[in-house]
Amino acid sequence: MFGLPGQGIHLHVDALSALFLCILAPQIMASALGGMFRSLTFWFFVLGMVLAVLAGDAFTLILGFELMSAASWLLVLRGDEKPAPLYAGIAMISAACLIPAVFLPASSLAFLLIFLGAGAKAGLAPLHIWLPRAHPAPPAGVSALMSGGMVKVALYILIRYAFVVFGAAAQPWWGALLIAAGAASVLLGALRAMLEVEMKTLLACSTVEHVGLITIGLGIALRAKAMNDPALAALALQGALLCAVAHGLFKPMLFLGAGAVKSATGTTSLDWLGGLIRGMPRLGALMLVAASGMAALPLGPGFAPEFLLLHAVIAAAATGGILARIGFTALLAGLGLSAALAVGAALRLIGIGFLGRPRSLHAAAAEDAKHATLLGMALLAVLCVPVSLFPSLILGFLVPVIQQLSPHSDPMPLAYAPLTLALLFLLVGGVAFALLHRLGVRGTREVVAWSGGFGRPPVWLPFGDPATQPSATGFADPVRRAIGLGLLARGGVDPAEAYVFAPLYRLHLRLTRLAEHIRRATIRQRLAFVFAALVVFLLVLGLRQGS
Amino acid sequence: MITFLSLLATLLHAALMFALAPLLFGLVGKLRARLLGRRGPPVVQPYRTLYRLLRKTTLVPETATEFYPVWPFLCFVPLGAAALLVPGFSSGMLSANSSDFITLIGLFALSRAATLLAGLETGFAFGGAAAAREVLFSVLAEAAFLVVLLSFVLIAHSPTIDGIALAFRGGHIGISVSLGFALAALLAVALTETGRIPVDNPAGHLELSMVHEALLLEYSGRYLLLFEYAAMLRLLLWMSLIGTVFFPFGMAHAVDILSWPGGLALWFLKLGVLVSALALFEISTAKMRVFRVPEFLGVAVLLGVLAGIFLFVASRIGA
Repeated sequence: MFGLPGQGIHLHVDALSALFLCILAPQIMASALGGMFRSLTFWFFVLGMVLAVLAGDAFTLILGFELMSAASWLLVLRGDEKPAPLYAGIAMISAACLIPAVFLPASSLAFLLIFLGAGAKAGLAPLHIWLPRAHPAPPAGVSALMSGGMVKVALYILIRYAFVVFGAAAQPWWGALLIAAGAASVLLGALRAMLEVEMKTLLACSTVEHVGLITIGLGIALRAKAMNDPALAALALQGALLCAVAHGLFKPMLFLGAGAVKSATGTTSLDWLGGLIRGMPRLGALMLVAASGMAALPLGPGFAPEFLLLHAVIAAAATGGILARIGFTALLAGLGLSAALAVGAALRLIGIGFLGRPRSLHAAAAEDAKHATLLGMALLAVLCVPVSLFPSLILGFLVPVIQQLSPHSDPMPLAYAPLTLALLFLLVGGVAFALLHRLGVRGTREVVAWSGGFGRPPVWLPFGDPATQPSATGFADPVRRAIGLGLLARGGVDPAEAYVFAPLYRLHLRLTRLAEHIRRATIRQRLAFVFAALVVFLLVLGLRQGS
Repeated sequence: MITFLSLLATLLHAALMFALAPLLFGLVGKLRARLLGRRGPPVVQPYRTLYRLLRKTTLVPETATEFYPVWPFLCFVPLGAAALLVPGFSSGMLSANSSDFITLIGLFALSRAATLLAGLETGFAFGGAAAAREVLFSVLAEAAFLVVLLSFVLIAHSPTIDGIALAFRGGHIGISVSLGFALAALLAVALTETGRIPVDNPAGHLELSMVHEALLLEYSGRYLLLFEYAAMLRLLLWMSLIGTVFFPFGMAHAVDILSWPGGLALWFLKLGVLVSALALFEISTAKMRVFRVPEFLGVAVLLGVLAGIFLFVASRIGA
């Protein structure tokens, strides 16, 4: 169905695009409920995403993709002018890679261009540094859709071309490239999510991590497909696609919640928040559900995908040469590190932002979010239930997609049984509760917190001294000292920024200066240049004649 | 009949796990005191502590949120579920198929997350500082745990604990360098997760240097009981896990009731050996500084990776 431009717009729905439409639909509804309903630019943004996913030919795909980029750039620009140029620049890079790539025949060059173009838009390392800056800039509804939806559209293009359009030409190293980029994204994203203080920046970094997880799954599947291992390809695809589904539910929730916190307190800096769950109990409960997904804890929406991906990595470590196996072992260590960092980041978001004591008067006076926002978040939370408790059901819906991407593969049933686990939890928890209630002394008494023996705070500090509880920065400090110093560049800067973008920027500056130098040449310099060119030309001509 | 027997074995296992957890804790304490030349508390002291906590009024700090009573249950319940998944005296229990190793790692993480949130709950300095340190430890411990798991799964061709124990009991694995490294790495993870010396001191009384205990400073009464009991259960779980995976000989079959007494006796023996080893190790080392722990766990990660590499090399040269 992929045709040349100039033939009009072709729309085509198959299993893959239907899946991504299903991922997009709930977040679009939630974002519209979250306050973006009246913005025309927002609906253009949505139109671009839907068009890109529904596209039946390359021209329509590019049209939708660029409409999405342009509309989101406008929305970013309206929120904050600072990251907008960087965002536009990255969008241009991705357009410059994608437009030639979609018209090229299936080859490694075309795949590399797709990888660069879609990877830059999805926020894959090392082209991810725009994401933690641009995603927090627009209003919460747009941030939610950018993080949950826009990166998925970019991943959709990557999947569409790597597995379907170029599927026949696929080579194992394509998968290895995806795995390497994904691993770097996972590590950097999880680490920065642990260290960032701004709530929305933290969530954007966590998006980088999840995009990395999905890409690792895709990479393992692509490699396994090229190496004729359909069972492993199916397992990895299950993990990657389920991760995309789950991330599309809990990440928009978190962004909408962060927006509600911003409108209630005027800040999203965790260092100024605290104790929000008192003023915003409903928002707090919804955020807790979403954070359990971000942390990939059992019985949350994020655990089943993580489970499948870890099993895929373990299974992949039994294939290929010895270097690949060692690589997968290291990847598993990195994934373990990032999984625990993600738990830490989610704990920090909830524990510092919503539990504890207020760190400012704004946080103490926060009131619960608007009904529409809560409704949008609740919609996503309800959809989290089947992903958390019945992942096998969702995996059943994914079977046609997996068979489209990797023919002859027969996905295995899931070994993780959340329903059994939930029943065990109920049993153990019920027995414990009943025993404590029956045998123990009932009731509680409210007292001043013990706090290591320090006395009651003075009357004019109703919540005690805010400075006596650990801040978000302080909470992340042990991790920063032990891991951040090793993985990040000097000064805690993202290595992609220090080692990829800063040299590029310096090169750009030097070339600009050179061009400026040439532009400002005096008439004598110009004449000398023309004369020198003439001499060289004649010399070359003469030497050629002579030989 | 077979299902009935495995149900019976599961119930017996659960009863023993839940009943023996405090005893194990008491044994370690007693043995440690004896080795240091003191008389030590009686072995049943943990039971008395739990009973005392049960009879005490539960105090709730003013600054606590509505979620204050949730965390103790969320800390205990995943461990209680894990106690049903990790085989003890017998293999082939009802829960054998769902005892996937990664699920177990997730359950430990969930329990730890609840404890950390309990530390951050009231917003006082010691809880927060301890939570920050615990996050750092957990990051490296989880990496080591997962890498060790890789070697197990590659040797045993099964991701469940039950399957790994069955494969290792088969005997044709032999003693391998990989498993030695894996054991060392797993022991380091176990010491960290259960908060023993050299990572943390369970008997510590200085808030500044405490990790596990400092998280629970604001809890009392029946909620503290749940946390304390969860800590005891965690120790027993880890000992059973190490015993099951590395010393699976003599484990009973759930379907063969005649093998149960032998399995039980050997399980108690294994636990006894591990308790003595822990007590000996604890009196012979000192607690580390907080920022030495990442190095300790980093070594565990490297050992785990080395276990994997040795495995690949061995399979390459056909040893």
